[in-house]
Amino acid sequence: MLKYIVRRLILTVPILLGLSILVFLFVRALPGGPAIALLGERATQESVEQIEEELGLDRPLPVQYLSYLRNILSGDLGSSVSTRRPIVDELKQRFPATFELAAMAMLFAVAAGIPLGYVAAKRYQGVLDNVSLVASLIGISFPVFFLALLMKYVFAVKLGWLPTVGRIDVTRSLEHPTGFYLLDAIIAGDGEAFVDVLEHLIMPAIALGTIPLAIVARITRAAVLDVLGEDYVRTAKAKGLDPSVVDRRHVLRNAMLPVVTVIGLQTGLLLTGAVLTETVFSFPGLGSWILNAIRFRDYAVIQGGILFFAGMFIVVNLLVDISYAFLNPRIRYR
Amino acid sequence: MSVAEAQAAELSLERPSGLWRDAFDRFRRNPAALVGVGLLLVLIIAAVFAAQLAPHEPNQQVGPLSTNPAGPGGGFTLGLDEQGRDVLSRLLFGARLSLLVGVVSVAIGLSIGLVFGAVAGYIGGWVDTAIMRVMDLLLSVPSLLMAIGLVTLLGRGMVQIMFAVGVTTVPIFARLLRGSILGQREADYVLAARSVGVPGRRLLLGHIIPNSIAPVIVQATLTMATAIIEVAALSFLGLGPGDPSLPEWGKMMADNANRLESAAHLVLLPGFAIVISTMGLNLIGDGLREAIDPKLRS
Repeated sequence: MLKYIVRRLILTVPILLGLSILVFLFVRALPGGPAIALLGERATQESVEQIEEELGLDRPLPVQYLSYLRNILSGDLGSSVSTRRPIVDELKQRFPATFELAAMAMLFAVAAGIPLGYVAAKRYQGVLDNVSLVASLIGISFPVFFLALLMKYVFAVKLGWLPTVGRIDVTRSLEHPTGFYLLDAIIAGDGEAFVDVLEHLIMPAIALGTIPLAIVARITRAAVLDVLGEDYVRTAKAKGLDPSVVDRRHVLRNAMLPVVTVIGLQTGLLLTGAVLTETVFSFPGLGSWILNAIRFRDYAVIQGGILFFAGMFIVVNLLVDISYAFLNPRIRYR
Repeated sequence: MSVAEAQAAELSLERPSGLWRDAFDRFRRNPAALVGVGLLLVLIIAAVFAAQLAPHEPNQQVGPLSTNPAGPGGGFTLGLDEQGRDVLSRLLFGARLSLLVGVVSVAIGLSIGLVFGAVAGYIGGWVDTAIMRVMDLLLSVPSLLMAIGLVTLLGRGMVQIMFAVGVTTVPIFARLLRGSILGQREADYVLAARSVGVPGRRLLLGHIIPNSIAPVIVQATLTMATAIIEVAALSFLGLGPGDPSLPEWGKMMADNANRLESAAHLVLLPGFAIVISTMGLNLIGDGLREAIDPKLRS
């Protein structure tokens, strides 16, 4: 098991390397360099050259790449060209925001999707099954940003139940030792702040979690249906095992394998959806940050941000693979 | 009559029916899939006959400029937008764009993906490893982010946007076809064809690919829905077609996102237009999946 994890970790190195080259080249190929972005379209040739020299952009590409790689390895992702803030600082601030959002969205998707899919399978072809099928179809077909806009309009603008933008009420003072606002509120023992942060999370998380919810429900339904027809389930029932025990120990546990795979894959898509959700709710996370960086051709932010995004995706997939072993002892990693 | 003859007689009684004919029969009996076909037909008719169906030109100003434009009903079936243009006409012409975007970007992704997938699956060895690692690499970048990047790189023309969205789907198709081919490569019929001297290229194009293509077709339908949403999302983020007069659904929503209070129809109508198209495609995709793979049939 440990050997497997180590091997998987080693395998991610070439992927990350390839990715860094890809992102590096992409950023250099963007029309108009960062100097132009910084100085404006009418900058003089000299001032452009001066800035490029300052940023080291006048050196040959392989040299630039190697020094970039060296910096990454020493934990230095450079500074934002526009705000001059170190990327690492910005990541520390924005990663917790997106993480909190994605985690809540996934929690929502899993907490609602698995029971929904399970019940639908147990009531196969019943009313509930059909309702859940239609609902999940609608969930998959709705663009994230449309759902986000609708929710914002209904629950924030019309009903005034929930706040429209940001992570926390701007007038509230809360220390941020961790950057995870929910955690910060718990550390500060501030119940009101906790509720405030939660209220800011509800809509973005539901908007972001709806597609994964629909997919988790569908996969759970299919997997449970599959397992219910297995011999070992019939055997377990035949030997008089309590039906709830059969469901828990035999059906659900075996049906979880494909579900976990899908959860892992969806987490990657969640990061994509975060770009849209964060835009609609002005949520200060990674998605809106990278989007702005691309708009303003902020080289360092694009490089650092995309690498970080992809790194997260790779880690999530690794975790998914490892969790297989716990769920299914039949899988033995060599 | 010998046993063999008896079996032969029995077999000949059954009407020979191929996979596709079977699949078509199953598809035809699936109500959900038929609803999907209906929804898709609405989209296709709207797109093809936009010029005939639309009461006005999509960019023609037919009413007053207003920050509080008239909603549905009144003189204009689906109301006006802030620039006094007829919403119904814009939606109809928008259907053209969406359908085009869906078909073309999937065609781009599919054709590139199929070539990579076929080469990787058929040749195998280090070629396979190299191609699949590159695909893994592409998959590790969230697709919308990659599309945003490509559009920034290539520019904001319709062609560039369709290409960008298409490229993000390449790894999906490559993986799918490769997996499918790997499953077929060692099959008996391939061995048989090889042993009677069918040349490699014809073996691949005439035998292996036609037998591996079913899951790819299903995926293409579902991906078309994603492509439509993705282009709308790009527009929504302000990275859509550079031509501001194009009645792109996502852009129509973005332009009016802050008018939900005063003119909700300007956001809701294009939104539901997108939902109808993607739902139609998803229903068809699911129907095809069930029709082609009898194991998944409920």
